[in-house]
Amino acid sequence: MMKRALPALATAGAVALLLAGCSGSSAPASDGPAEITFWHGYTEADGKVLDQIVADFNASQQKYKITTETKTWAVIDDTLLPALSSKEGPQIVAMPAERMPVYADRGAFADLSDFYASSDSNTADLVPQAVDMVKVGGTPYGVPTGFVPLAMFYNKSLFSAAGITEAPTTWDAWVADAKKLTVDENGDGTPEQYGVAIPDHATVANGLWPSLLLSGGGQIVDGDKAVIDSPENAKTIQYWTDAITKDKISPTGLDGIAADQLFSSGKAAMHVGGPWMASIAKDNNIDYGIAAIPAGPAEQAASAIGVAMGVTESADDAQRAGAEAFFSYFFQKDVATKWSLASGWPPLRTDIPLSDVSSNPVVAALSEIAPTGRALLPGVVNSTDVISDIDELTQKAVAGGNVDELLATAQTKIQQAIE
Amino acid sequence: MTTHAPSAPPRRRGAYRPPAPIGGRGPLRHSPRRRLTVVAFLTPAMVILTVFVAWPMISALRLSFTDASGFGREKFVGFENYVRVFTDEDILRAMGNTALYALLFTPIAIALALGFALLLNNPLLPLRGVFRTALFTPFIVSLAVAAFAWSYLLDPQIGLLNYWLRGLGIQLGNVLQDPTLAMPAVVLVAVWKSFGFYMVIFLAGLQDIPTSLYEAARVDGASAGQRFRSITFPMLGNTMGFVVIVALIAALQAFDQIYVMTGGGPYGSTQTIVMEIYQSGFRKLELGFASALSYVLLLITLVLSLTQFLFFSRREKDAA
Amino acid sequence: MTALAASPAVTASEAPSRRVSPQRRRRRLVSALLLVVVAASTLALMLPILIIVFTAFKPVAEVNAYPPTLVPGAWTLDNFTRIFTELPFARLIANSFVFAGGVTAFALVFDSLAAYALARLDFRGNKILLIAIIASLMIPFQATLIPIYQLVSDLGWVNSYAGLIAPRAADAFGIFFLRQFFLSLPRDLDNAARIDGAGELRIFGSIVLPNAVPALLTLGIFTFVNNWNDLLWPLVFTTDAEMGTVTSGLTLLTGPGGIIPQGVMMAGSLIALLPLAILFLMIQRRFVESVGTSGLK
Repeated sequence: MMKRALPALATAGAVALLLAGCSGSSAPASDGPAEITFWHGYTEADGKVLDQIVADFNASQQKYKITTETKTWAVIDDTLLPALSSKEGPQIVAMPAERMPVYADRGAFADLSDFYASSDSNTADLVPQAVDMVKVGGTPYGVPTGFVPLAMFYNKSLFSAAGITEAPTTWDAWVADAKKLTVDENGDGTPEQYGVAIPDHATVANGLWPSLLLSGGGQIVDGDKAVIDSPENAKTIQYWTDAITKDKISPTGLDGIAADQLFSSGKAAMHVGGPWMASIAKDNNIDYGIAAIPAGPAEQAASAIGVAMGVTESADDAQRAGAEAFFSYFFQKDVATKWSLASGWPPLRTDIPLSDVSSNPVVAALSEIAPTGRALLPGVVNSTDVISDIDELTQKAVAGGNVDELLATAQTKIQQAIE
Repeated sequence: MTTHAPSAPPRRRGAYRPPAPIGGRGPLRHSPRRRLTVVAFLTPAMVILTVFVAWPMISALRLSFTDASGFGREKFVGFENYVRVFTDEDILRAMGNTALYALLFTPIAIALALGFALLLNNPLLPLRGVFRTALFTPFIVSLAVAAFAWSYLLDPQIGLLNYWLRGLGIQLGNVLQDPTLAMPAVVLVAVWKSFGFYMVIFLAGLQDIPTSLYEAARVDGASAGQRFRSITFPMLGNTMGFVVIVALIAALQAFDQIYVMTGGGPYGSTQTIVMEIYQSGFRKLELGFASALSYVLLLITLVLSLTQFLFFSRREKDAA
Repeated sequence: MTALAASPAVTASEAPSRRVSPQRRRRRLVSALLLVVVAASTLALMLPILIIVFTAFKPVAEVNAYPPTLVPGAWTLDNFTRIFTELPFARLIANSFVFAGGVTAFALVFDSLAAYALARLDFRGNKILLIAIIASLMIPFQATLIPIYQLVSDLGWVNSYAGLIAPRAADAFGIFFLRQFFLSLPRDLDNAARIDGAGELRIFGSIVLPNAVPALLTLGIFTFVNNWNDLLWPLVFTTDAEMGTVTSGLTLLTGPGGIIPQGVMMAGSLIALLPLAILFLMIQRRFVESVGTSGLK
């Protein structure tokens, strides 16, 4: 009988420990500033500036004290769920914007409608597309910390070697220039230098093809309907597939990271990338230029890379008030300007003039093209599946599949994903 | 329930049984001293396993009947998740892929391990210690790092393998983005990393086989192949059974290198069940569904392993 | 192919002096053939390891260069300095030792005790317990991660060594593995001891365990290596950067845009490999010795 008692004993012991653990959980300190933990993924020099902004906020008042923890974005994504599930999570967390809807939908983030409505929140002048990123079903669940459209980076030395003086501004010019910049000296069928690096899956911020589709006049999701199967999208995909496979202006099978590397190693003359390409290109001694993604037949649109932060459900009232106070502080004009210059991303307020950010040429250049920015899949909860459906579409198209069939399949799958 | 004790002393009919606590059948099995002993041996491990393995498994089972994300609201949904496991296209595809992966990985890894174990067991081979260490090294590399190294080797632009093979006139192309080559590639990485460990287990098993048996066979004129078939293979039955189950379980749970090298692509051709579990749980925050899928995987693995176990136990009994 | 141990004593004593030569010549030929085959295949299999070693010493430009090189053209220690400046790497290595070492120590003790009970002691539910233990191997860690984390957090052990080690202090694989091994050991010695009245713990400690050294060493290496290389658990469990392990620390190396600095990553991996390699080299000799003395039955 002892043996059967054993599991019971062990479980009883475990339960006892659990209860002991539970009762030991801390009641919030009744005096002293409310302690708030803030997770973010700014790991480079920009992270240090953000930490400084937080420190300044802490110094500016007595009621709240924020402590930051820096991890990579991927690690935050992997560790946030367990932390929240055991109430060990941060009260403020920043994450890539397309990850926000799924967390918001599951109740991880607090509804910030009242915050936005209040007059001293400093949110009235925020870039509207940036705010679009944090809304699910019309309700805002966070605030933007970064919003920048993908830009075209080009290698000035390779340009001048090919006799091209300006970055292209339309698709046709883009392809023409790329053809001139694709060089296969030894004629073995594999160019040593490509005109452009166009990934066909896992693109930079998953934004390259959405940019092209939008510029071609098509959309992916409209409200709660998948609308990817449209004549405009078919033309766009066919246009670019032909350019890649027939004119060979880019290798096939690239992903976003490989495309980054191709450009930074000087083997591709043009590349659609994020702001970090500036410092990477500089580290690799590439004389680079920044331009807007060339305009398509319908418009000049660039999918935006967005980062947002929100208040988690593990925050109590005091902590939530503190978080909102921090957000207001963060959006003050001077702080917003400082953050823009440090992060290398355009300012989040529309009323900050270009002259204020001219000290950082990358920021100035990106701010100029900021109007081309469009949020990626705003409000789509299951962005994971939609993005992989888009990837499958583009990858198979570039590999030679039938574009119309692929679009029909993608439409069905995306519709399923957003239901 | 009695357990078969292979070397229990034979029962003498009607004889007086001494009251010593011999490991074997009999009512004295349940003496308090005996039970205390059993408990004492089992307790430390059982406490850990009950608290940190059994209880979370029960938790996960409960979660599998809900739509929980791990935090916030959760709602009981009955068997909905399980139905979805068997009707969702992506999940069914993942099951097919996992089966393919297991079918490729298990025999190849075991054959390679056994082959090298036999070679390294041969006293005619010089520098055996060196080779044993070298062949074991892939095992001590973490799977993620191994995946990085292999991805780098297979990179279509700057990869060494592609470069060398191109020199020989073979165009490897973009292996990890090729729907037909991606799966063999991820299997290869796992085989490369794991065979060293299985090899060491086989070596231990081989060295347990008395050389006198081989001598007798030699004297009888048996060839190398015959010696392998009638001595080595049967005597390895216990070891083989263990390695097969362990390899199978590892194959059915394939995740790390796929996550690093292909992310489940291209077109989901390397998406395995555990990849789906991870993505459902951590990316789509569908912990309830992830738990249900885990339990289906557990059941499949259990059935397959029990079959293997029974198969090899019978062989072991025949061999002994 | 499987030319197994030929006993020199038998043939040498039987053979007349004329037949020794061809015999020895054939053995030398087989030796040479084996050497070539095994050496070639080993070298091929070592290629990825060589990649890790050499890439760690390559400057960034050469890592991405075309045509690719195996051996670095320019050797550099940059990657290594970066590893130690960008991460608290020394602390991470120490944490890895505590984690992997702690788990291995506890697991070897707890697992062998339980395995002994399963292999040698008859009790009701022995087979069922075994199946339950094996079954627990079949659920992937990703599924039980959240409940385990919640449990450990409720115990108040988040970010502590106790919490990191406890869930692994006994493991189903080890119990299964040792149970199989104990089963293969002959019972004569322990039965004799039992008849003499020795207690089970004594039998376990002085008879069974000494004969199980190769299995214990194998399991020890397996457990240590796997926990040293484990990523998901230390990553999720330690939110404090200083408490992480080497593997979880390396994930923090991802640069902006998801670009991984290959050279630095390889340097870190190489350093992470070294303790394991040294450990195996040390254990390996004992492994051979102990098998040599106890193996032939």
